[in-house]
Amino acid sequence: MDIFSDLIMGLSIAITPINLLYLLIGAAIGMIVGVIPGFGPSAGLAILLPMTFGMDPIGAIMMLAAIYYGAMYGGTITSILLNTPGESATVASTFDGFPLAKNGRAGPALVMQAVASFVGGTVGVILITLLAPMFAQVSRSFGPPEYFLLALMGMLTLIVMIGENWRLGIVSALIGFALGTVGVDLETGQGRYTFGSAELIGGIYFIPIAIGLFGLGELFYAFYQGLHRTGTGGIVNYDNEERFWPTRLDWMSTRMTMARQSVLGFVVGVIPGAGATIASLMAYSTERSLSKNPENFGKGEMAGLVAPETANNAASSGAMIPLLTLGIPGSASTAVLLAAFLLWGLRPGPLFMEQNPELAWGLIASMYLGNMALLAISIFAIPLFVQIIKVPYRILGPTVVVVCALGTFSVNASFVELYIMFAAGIAGFFMRLYGFSAAALVLALVLGPLAEEALRQTLAISRGSFAIFVERPASLWIIAVTVVLVVCLPLLNRFGAKAQAARKSGV
Amino acid sequence: MTKHIKAVDWLPQATMGALAACSISLAAPAMAQEVYPSADETLDWTIAFGPGGGNDIMARTIIDILTKYELYPGDISAENRAGGSGAVGWGYLYGQDGDPYGISTTSGSFVTTPLQADTPWQPEDFTPVALLATDDLVLVVNGDSEIQNIEQFIEMAKANPMNIGGTGTVNVDFIVPTLFAQAAGFEFDYVSFNSMADQTTALLSGALDSMVGNPGEILGLIESGELRPLVYSGQSTPAALGDVPTMGEVGYDIGVSMPRGLILPPNAPEAAQQWWIGTMEKVVETPEWAEYIASNTLTPTVIYGEEFRDFLVRTKNNFEQVLKSVGAID
Repeated sequence: MDIFSDLIMGLSIAITPINLLYLLIGAAIGMIVGVIPGFGPSAGLAILLPMTFGMDPIGAIMMLAAIYYGAMYGGTITSILLNTPGESATVASTFDGFPLAKNGRAGPALVMQAVASFVGGTVGVILITLLAPMFAQVSRSFGPPEYFLLALMGMLTLIVMIGENWRLGIVSALIGFALGTVGVDLETGQGRYTFGSAELIGGIYFIPIAIGLFGLGELFYAFYQGLHRTGTGGIVNYDNEERFWPTRLDWMSTRMTMARQSVLGFVVGVIPGAGATIASLMAYSTERSLSKNPENFGKGEMAGLVAPETANNAASSGAMIPLLTLGIPGSASTAVLLAAFLLWGLRPGPLFMEQNPELAWGLIASMYLGNMALLAISIFAIPLFVQIIKVPYRILGPTVVVVCALGTFSVNASFVELYIMFAAGIAGFFMRLYGFSAAALVLALVLGPLAEEALRQTLAISRGSFAIFVERPASLWIIAVTVVLVVCLPLLNRFGAKAQAARKSGV
Repeated sequence: MTKHIKAVDWLPQATMGALAACSISLAAPAMAQEVYPSADETLDWTIAFGPGGGNDIMARTIIDILTKYELYPGDISAENRAGGSGAVGWGYLYGQDGDPYGISTTSGSFVTTPLQADTPWQPEDFTPVALLATDDLVLVVNGDSEIQNIEQFIEMAKANPMNIGGTGTVNVDFIVPTLFAQAAGFEFDYVSFNSMADQTTALLSGALDSMVGNPGEILGLIESGELRPLVYSGQSTPAALGDVPTMGEVGYDIGVSMPRGLILPPNAPEAAQQWWIGTMEKVVETPEWAEYIASNTLTPTVIYGEEFRDFLVRTKNNFEQVLKSVGAID
């Protein structure tokens, strides 16, 4: 087989001692970059990029790619331990990750997220190896109409997130949509609510809002509860050392979740621009619909953590497809990777894999090794991270504030974003106190502008006709999948539950 | 000065004297201007964008050349002062009024950001050194399209208005096709995207009829035939695009480009401006510079000093006029 000889050639390049070293350094940096809230992979890559200029391109690209997918492993750690997502792709991981930690299951949650990340990442690389050309066709069939439908699908998952407190949930989402309107209007070029400030031209960035609402809001709430006076122990409990490893039930109940979500996550990741955030949300809502006990979601269900984690890592592998086969970066991080390729005079595009087989296959092979290295690093590092929980809260709390502030500031070196973060922190505290949904707000902030822009582009292209949504095969597919996910699955579940109840009552 | 006054309160007299002497000696070269540049002064190079972007790469390329050929005697400290689409970095340089040791590179936002936000500075406020290159755009259609060349495109667009995608509205991506369409006499619908990646995806998916963009990012797709280039907006077509004609060659020159140049703070001393003009004349002759131009598919367009200021004013006025006519800015 061609593919296997290519892969073995790639392995032989990736496995040289110096390249392995670069790969390990990249994986470790990725973990660290992911752990610091706000300091996501794109910021980390941009800062480290100039340091790779003197390096051999293959080693450098392996290292940069490892930083990129390694950050997905690290990003979840703070989602679980501190309820602070490091980036939009790990927001969904807080839904069940943080409750798990609160219930004293931080250890198993961290191990399962590392395994889920590994499975998602590795299945993703296998799919790249086997089916890259096929998925390149998927990448290129997405235009504005499809993005609008995808964003719509993402928004439907908001309904799942809002849950019982629907009035407060809707208000939260509306606030998110309102914040999303700030910035220069893409269509007309006019500033909306920018008040002439250059800092607001680009709109309100998601990171400071998410860190404020989730991380700082949770901290302030903990202070409000008087946790700083209780001595040791943080927001989460970690009482029993024996409960470090996941139970048999954890493994058994999430097997199918990992299998399903690695494929789903990869396919969504292949779509440029949709990426890991939408993948993780879709994963969460589909798993909830498929689950036998959806009422446990949001209260510390292992599948609710495994699903978004598998999906966001699979998606980050998937995003390499448009980058390698079309030269189109699907996210801020892959855009920096593309900049790196261009710096070395490489031109990713349809001919890239043919013209640079050593580089392309070396990179793909290194991703197998990188994911293994990351799994090992995670398992070794988890006991260290778990120690965080034992730090007295009066020390942990202020430290987290400082780390959040540094992380936020490091992205754009903007004081305005720091103010936004602190303001969001205070808002987050009150939202927590009165039961508003921070998740709905943040997701509305991410998806709102995406949907708005895509819809306006679509209508500009179709000259105002909505028929364009049913004229394109890719759009039709998305509509069909949405109907299945949103209408059929919950209905089937309901019937299933009724049938079960009937059977039980019959017996 | 306030710092030194505060120091009086608690520093011993002798130290104070030393400090005062020190501050005089620091200020001396800047005031005297006898030797520029002084090897004792660190050049404070502002990069108004983050690492890895076009502006950053250009600044670091020039710094590498200056270092390699030992053209600058002192230390150079390059700082990424990103934020507000360049407003933060160039705002910093604006605050270095009269300082011969502040310097920065420009890119498209140097003209467009002041049009969008209330920046205290305008492009013409700074001391111009040189325009080194321009970013120009290529108009492309999908490789499957029946349109083979620009004449055919104009003909079809006249019969049936097409859409053209580009990045942003207060941007050269919007200005160039607008001026070109006015000159060639066709109408089009502009579809604005957030990034080159988004618009390329839209064009490949068949949603868009055509788009304009910087050739650098899509050369791979052009080479493989997925995208077909029709016309180039610069004064000369980059080698990588082959025999694609320029807008001037098809008879509709528009004379608008995004400036990649070098500036000093406002009111920088004449000697500093002249020294940098002389130095840049050497920089643009190096093979490293030629490679930078080629690998980033820029159009080498070199003009110096006041002519660069005129170029900036002309570009800004052109932009303002087009953007006002469509209501994008007041």
